[in-house]
Amino acid sequence: MAERADDRLLRLLGIVAYLDGAGPVSVADLARRFGTTPAQIQKDVDALWVSGTPGYWPDDLIDFDAASIDRGVVHLTEARGMTRPLRLGTREAVALVAALRAMKATGAVQADPARSAVVESALRKLTDATGEAASAVDVRLAPGGDRQVVSAISSALTARHRLQIRYVTSSDVVSEREVDPVRLHTQDEYAYLAAWCYRAAAPRTFRVDRILEATETDVPVQEHPGVGEQAAEIDFAALFAGRSSPLATIRFAPRARWFAEEVPVESVRNLPDGDFEVTLRVTNPGWLRSTLIQLAPYVRSVAPAALADDVAGAAAEALALYDSGRETGPTFGHGTDPRTRDAATSPDRH
Amino acid sequence: MPIDPPPSAQSATSPGLNPAERLLNLVIALVNTNAAMTKQQVRTAVAGYADAPSDEAFERMFERDKDMLRALGIPVVTVGTGGHTDELGYRIDQDAYALPSIDLTPAELGVLSLAAQFWQDKTLQTDINRAMVKLRAAGAGDPSADALAGLAPSVRAVGDAYGPLMEAIEARRAVTFSYRAAYNGTVLTRHVEPWRIAARDGGWYLMCFDRDRQAPRVFRMSRIESRVRVTGPAGAYDIPDFETDVVLGKAHGEIRQAVVAVRPERAGALRARAKPVPDGERQAYSERLPVPAGAPAGGRAGDQAGWDILEVPYRSLSGMASEAAGYGAALVVLEPEAVRAETLRRLTAAAALGSGTGAQAGASRG
Repeated sequence: MAERADDRLLRLLGIVAYLDGAGPVSVADLARRFGTTPAQIQKDVDALWVSGTPGYWPDDLIDFDAASIDRGVVHLTEARGMTRPLRLGTREAVALVAALRAMKATGAVQADPARSAVVESALRKLTDATGEAASAVDVRLAPGGDRQVVSAISSALTARHRLQIRYVTSSDVVSEREVDPVRLHTQDEYAYLAAWCYRAAAPRTFRVDRILEATETDVPVQEHPGVGEQAAEIDFAALFAGRSSPLATIRFAPRARWFAEEVPVESVRNLPDGDFEVTLRVTNPGWLRSTLIQLAPYVRSVAPAALADDVAGAAAEALALYDSGRETGPTFGHGTDPRTRDAATSPDRH
Repeated sequence: MPIDPPPSAQSATSPGLNPAERLLNLVIALVNTNAAMTKQQVRTAVAGYADAPSDEAFERMFERDKDMLRALGIPVVTVGTGGHTDELGYRIDQDAYALPSIDLTPAELGVLSLAAQFWQDKTLQTDINRAMVKLRAAGAGDPSADALAGLAPSVRAVGDAYGPLMEAIEARRAVTFSYRAAYNGTVLTRHVEPWRIAARDGGWYLMCFDRDRQAPRVFRMSRIESRVRVTGPAGAYDIPDFETDVVLGKAHGEIRQAVVAVRPERAGALRARAKPVPDGERQAYSERLPVPAGAPAGGRAGDQAGWDILEVPYRSLSGMASEAAGYGAALVVLEPEAVRAETLRRLTAAAALGSGTGAQAGASRG
């Protein structure tokens, strides 16, 4: 892909300013530092070599030691005054400072004083250098879970130790698992632990606020092919995917807009009266039932009828508890035992 | 060369030198000039400009290059040449563009590299990558990510509105866009003065002054349905000092306690932040507990018989009630009355969602 002229100019100036302070540096190191290839660094050096002040006589040009270049080392001998690194622009400072501030507030950084100190000092040096322009963007991610859980995870990640965790799923099922931690990832409102799960014998992602307990063992983690290379983002679509799962169609009042914005749905249809209708695959009936109860005042209709009945049944059962509690009178029988219903309607429990 | 722009874009203006190299020579010339260079001197002396086929083409090229340099944080300043004409001169003042000395440790540089992966949007990635190139040019030592091994925070994409909104905030210019209101779903054109962009709880928000309503407002950016257009003059307003969370209404809720009865082994995520009500106080709650089947009526209602009584901290009434309602028959709210009532409101609406007429009853509540 063609590189933009401004991005290349930035690197050309950056290379000169850096070399002026750093002395001779290998082509490979330069490429790593500036995030490009050694071949590109060679082209950059070639371009710099013929650039300079008007006149463009040999003394006017940026110059390198030719013998060093042949050995793969870039040794700047004449910078033509281009020795000062560039100030950060407002937008650049905003992007960097906002990311650092968000990072500083994550549980994973807060749980570790050493980490916290590094982020803190990087942030201080940056804001000293850029001024207060950076308040235009303000990002805060999830605070992220129990302090002890987070510190056990981050300690195990650093030491590369296996973890024992007690985890509760979105369907409210608790399980004990042994996992090899791979990455602690904070995305938006939640922190996630990416790990190899021995119980599932597969890679799994755990929401940190649902990890009830975490204990670091002294067992070293093992290599699990393919686990380390997964994309850094959580693939929400994959979590909800499943071509074979049944479709549900729900019509919401406008107030429930976040559902369409945050839940991966198959389609959203805006209706003339401001309502909207989403279609989604039901891969996790327990989660959907619970979410629809939460949003019920803004739910206009649910299809298929079996799903609507399931939601209504669960809610009616809960209502009966409040009634019986008030009157301390009527009792409820075994027919409405929650376990009976769960077993009948939650095929995906794991 | 793969780094060049497509031939069509390049050959029209400068067959000899690609734009990055022309810009480089312009910067070097304007930094090293004694006083200033006139446009004519730039055209005849700086490598790359002599190729401009006409006066007009040169003007366009020079203006575009100045804009690009300004965007990179290298302002070209205009000065009088002091001669017999009123011709303007151009130079670059190094003190104006140089990064103040910033001495980052390898660990700090590592933290910054990690921060560089934070954004999902192309525009923000460009901004942060540029910042990183500048900082790497300034910093000694190799970046080390050890301090944050395995950590990778990121935030969901802001969307296309970010670019124009940032431009507006920087220049203090007003914007217009069409917006879908959540309370009734209607789409209206808004005229606002942007103050700040914030991300909280998975959503992006624009905090601004709404000119039509003459009051501060918060807009959820995912509900902006049109392109954001920057309009009006620069410097049109001031941005007040404010706390993001106060404006967003997140900071109001102090932490309160609810008391709930939970089935054993259930509501695991809620238990993670709850604590048991002390023995001495349990009795006070028993009368509100459902009586289990077969238990003697009015007897020591079943707190041992299938319910744990827990104290749960919460900030938002509706958040607590939603969470409680979501657990269905596994949980009963005992206190406070407000949470109980809100929970019941959700359960009652949900119970009405059943097939046939039930769904209609549910709809009438919205």
